[in-house]
Amino acid sequence: MVLTIDGLTLEFEGLHPLTGVSMSVDDGALAALVGPNGAGKTCVLNCIGGFYTPKAGRIRFGGAMIQGLAPHRIAARGIARTFQFVELFRGMSVLDNILLGRHRHMRSGLLAGGIFWGRSRREETLHRRRVEEIIEFLELERYRTELVASLPFGVQKLVAIGRALAMEPTLLLLDEPSTGMNREEKENLARFLLRIKHDLRTTMLWVEHDMELVGDLADTVTVLDFGRKIAEGPPAEVLRDPLVAEAYLGRAYVRERGAG
Amino acid sequence: MARGGGYFKTTYAADLALVDTRLRRRALAAFVVALLVLPRVASPFILDLVAQTALAAIGALALNLLTGLAGQVSLGHAGFIAAGAFTTGVLIENGVRSPLVALPAAAVVGAVLGIVVGIPALRLKGLYLALGTLALHHVVLYACAEFQNHWGANTGVSIPPPAIGPWVLKGAVAWYYTLTLAAALVLALSVNLRRSRAGRAWMAIRDREIAAESVGIDVARYKVLAFVWSSAITAVAGGLFAYHRAFVSVEAFGFFLAVEYIAMIIIGGLGSALGAVLGAAFVTLLPHGLDALVAGLRLSGGAAYYLFPLKFGAFGLLMAVFLLFEPQGLVGIWRRVRNWFALWPLRYRPLRSAS
Repeated sequence: MVLTIDGLTLEFEGLHPLTGVSMSVDDGALAALVGPNGAGKTCVLNCIGGFYTPKAGRIRFGGAMIQGLAPHRIAARGIARTFQFVELFRGMSVLDNILLGRHRHMRSGLLAGGIFWGRSRREETLHRRRVEEIIEFLELERYRTELVASLPFGVQKLVAIGRALAMEPTLLLLDEPSTGMNREEKENLARFLLRIKHDLRTTMLWVEHDMELVGDLADTVTVLDFGRKIAEGPPAEVLRDPLVAEAYLGRAYVRERGAG
Repeated sequence: MARGGGYFKTTYAADLALVDTRLRRRALAAFVVALLVLPRVASPFILDLVAQTALAAIGALALNLLTGLAGQVSLGHAGFIAAGAFTTGVLIENGVRSPLVALPAAAVVGAVLGIVVGIPALRLKGLYLALGTLALHHVVLYACAEFQNHWGANTGVSIPPPAIGPWVLKGAVAWYYTLTLAAALVLALSVNLRRSRAGRAWMAIRDREIAAESVGIDVARYKVLAFVWSSAITAVAGGLFAYHRAFVSVEAFGFFLAVEYIAMIIIGGLGSALGAVLGAAFVTLLPHGLDALVAGLRLSGGAAYYLFPLKFGAFGLLMAVFLLFEPQGLVGIWRRVRNWFALWPLRYRPLRSAS
């Protein structure tokens, strides 16, 4: 188990986005986290990433409890994430954005960077090489020096994945990577997700709305509804679960279809 | 690589180089030679203008680190300059005359003030941060005025020329070389920070704080560091200012000075080191340009009387004009001109959008 979540409960002044959610992600797995809008999927990612502090529950990652740690400390332990609305560094090039993913692997501080001689200079070229590998991996070569703000949304999503991959994470959290992508871009994304899983062997927790993609790619699926876990297991089983269909489509619709 | 065109590169080190083509290397060499021989051809007045520009450029570059790279607005910049200048003044009043003590002391005072304002700044953003730094400016000026009234002479403190052993820094030529060299060092620091890890972390915080945290940047640490570095360099500039003017008085560090520095980095082009230098030159030379203009127009005595408010108005107007019509500032104009010549007679978009 790379990640184990136990009884995760989140509360904001009377709202209960998450109630007693438990789940785990196997080493090397592509684990999907699905649910209707407002089910609490992104809240789970924000708790893991340290952006929210859960009211109760434990998050165990790599043998240590990480709930309540600051986001940059969690990132330093090897958890990378992408955001639903990309959240790139808009004033910077694709190259610089991905180089920022290398931040935790680099050492030079302000003085060394300001002098830019010897070790800090070598460090920059060394990590530039790693960034180029990622650019090649995600087929972003033609956008290398473009400002990210000028790129199409689908490409920005890939740059965000590239930035996260540059961190060489043990666990990659993906927040709806396919949102806003067209059919072709989604097919590319599916290809990249499989390559991340098989070539890089990075464990992924993947929040997704596109059930076709989840059904085809995910190893396991966890379903949330109103902040509670309602199903988990292999996608073929979970997506047939009547409870899941009910959560997505509403009870009346399911009963009607079941009768007809 | 003999005739590198700027687009074709074979190593990552070459891609990181600041001066990458033969034309640029030659232009830089010519510029350095021009700066070196300028004292032989220019009058002391011109040299003093360049020295003033260099001094302003140090402050502008330091402010650009904080505002342009790290994205933290500061209206307290004049306060840091005052702190550096008065640190020098206090030390001289107490018999410590060596700049080798005074300038590092100014840097330490600036750094401590940077921590003092940087820590509360973690909770403030945008306009509130601007007001918070403005408050610091007032506190520092109050402290300086207290010193001036109770310990120093009422009108200010006279500063003797800086001396290291038998060597005394005096005269327009010596000051010209000293300040130009100091500005060149701060410029090198700024451009290097832009292409290395720590400066990139600052820009990440400027662009998107939450994403900066998610890639493992300690946002609080880097924000405080931005204040510490910016204010330390600014305070050293303040110390140099005190020595250069040979006189320190609290009146010189009013709110208008803070606005002037903001004007430099906005008119020059926010976030660009070259822009900070261009802006510093522009703002330093503008009053002299207006003087020359008024003198050239040969107006009657009454019109010259209005020159003083005209300078203030010109700053406000120019800042508004740049914000509205040229948000990338002088450096944006420079890039367009350069690209136009690089592409002439064709009009294709340049291959690299920013460099």
